[in-house]
Amino acid sequence: MSVESKGVIPAKAGIQDWIPAYNRGDDKSSLQVEAHRPDGTVVPLSIETTAEGRRLSIPERAQASLIEIYETQGNEAYSTQTTLRIEVAAEARLAHYKLVREGPRADHQSFLEVHLQRAASLESHVFLFDGARIRNTLHVRVGEGGNCVLNGLYLATAEQVMETHTLIDHLKPHGTSRELYKGILDQKAQGLFDGLIVVEKDAQKTDSSQTNKNLLLSSDAKAKSNPELKILANDVKCKHGSTIGQIDAAQLFYLRSRGIPEEEARKLLIYAFASEMIESLPVVSLRERLHQLLSGKFQKGGG
Amino acid sequence: MLKIKDLHVSVGGKEILRGINLEVNKGEVHAIMGPNGSGKSTLAHVMAGREGFTVIGGEVAYEGKDLLAMTPEVRAGEGLFLAFQYPVEIAGVTNNYFLKTALNALRKYRGLPAMDAMDFLKLIKEKAQIVEMDTALLSRSVNDGFSGGEKKRNEILQMAVLEPRLSILDETDSGLDIDALQIVAKGINKMRSPDRAFIVVTHYQRLLNYVQPDFVHVLSAGRIVKSGGRELALELEKRGYVWLEEGAAIR
Repeated sequence: MSVESKGVIPAKAGIQDWIPAYNRGDDKSSLQVEAHRPDGTVVPLSIETTAEGRRLSIPERAQASLIEIYETQGNEAYSTQTTLRIEVAAEARLAHYKLVREGPRADHQSFLEVHLQRAASLESHVFLFDGARIRNTLHVRVGEGGNCVLNGLYLATAEQVMETHTLIDHLKPHGTSRELYKGILDQKAQGLFDGLIVVEKDAQKTDSSQTNKNLLLSSDAKAKSNPELKILANDVKCKHGSTIGQIDAAQLFYLRSRGIPEEEARKLLIYAFASEMIESLPVVSLRERLHQLLSGKFQKGGG
Repeated sequence: MLKIKDLHVSVGGKEILRGINLEVNKGEVHAIMGPNGSGKSTLAHVMAGREGFTVIGGEVAYEGKDLLAMTPEVRAGEGLFLAFQYPVEIAGVTNNYFLKTALNALRKYRGLPAMDAMDFLKLIKEKAQIVEMDTALLSRSVNDGFSGGEKKRNEILQMAVLEPRLSILDETDSGLDIDALQIVAKGINKMRSPDRAFIVVTHYQRLLNYVQPDFVHVLSAGRIVKSGGRELALELEKRGYVWLEEGAAIR
């Protein structure tokens, strides 16, 4: 991980306190957060505990990153539940990276709420890989001229259930949002994408798009996609869409006609579908890590 | 090398190929011409093993083996190559990686060790020059956002890298301007050798000005209705296909 926690929240201590999880066996989870001012100096951050969960404030014009990693190798049944609310002050930027690799019997539920004030921005990348049942919820309120990018990838197999619920609420004018979630579902896995974009009456000139794409690898796998727009303003640019499909027969034949065996060709195409989400990551070390994790499951597809 | 005997193929319950007979030997270039809907592309796809085409009769022997029993990847391993009329776009897989994976899959099939990255790079640069391809296209996703001409050149690049023994070119000339056509033709001609054979499927004889065929066959309504030498292509250009179709109908 290239981003280190700089004396703000000790990674290990932070996570144990932050996640009220029980029976976590071989726990390698961590939460790392750091922020800089435009001149590069470190901004001290503190996470405040309240009855409704945790709160974090990113000061004006700061550039912050939050890395959440949930990794457990044990086979115990346990549940992870997290709530975090982040206030991002004017012109500040927050980059959020989250990787979920919980144990095979684990239940993971997380709620993240981000409030973007004037010209603040959020870029979020979520990777849901392992866990029996994962429910990932993200609410973003976008202030004037705010900018939000939500990217996500969920890979589910066996009888895993992975849900993503997102709300992007444009409160003020001139905000932009781009959302792209992709799912790959194998065996009897189930994936749900539930995405709502609201453009409030005041939020004129909002520019928003939302896309969910699913790749089904077995006839027993299920994907459900509910992209939804609720527009109360009258001068906005919004679009949304979703796809649920299988491996493209023409692409598969093309690869096989060049001598690539069917199984390898399928893996290559699955990897190609997923790789877009990884390529969009700005953190090189995380990108490499995810490439590694992915190529463990699928054939690598680029260089 | 290739013997097609009384081949009947149907697509969606409709018989498209109605008794094709064709023999192609090493070193030969055969042109298959014919109007739209005559079955040219069906023939090309059936040779490569595309699903959705049902062989309802006849046989195809390739180097003495039953071609129709082979999977597409085995056909490639045995040295068969189809240059697609509509090359497929694959976002997320770079051209370089695709070519290297394909080449090493073929090498593995033939019991050869995988080619390492350095040797591959050298090979691909050399081959890209033949089709005058911008090397920037090699690190882009396969055919993704390529122009029509770039896609066709990419097909010929793949052919040059994979070095098949029998190449079937399906309307490789369609949609090419004269410069691109000459580059593609140069790529094909450079590959011609006494050990290799080509089947050039085309609607127009334009490509045959640059790639001189040894034999020309005219396909009409699923049958080869006329075969001849190079001069047949020129005659077709002058007279069109109608006179042959009429002839076929009378028979």
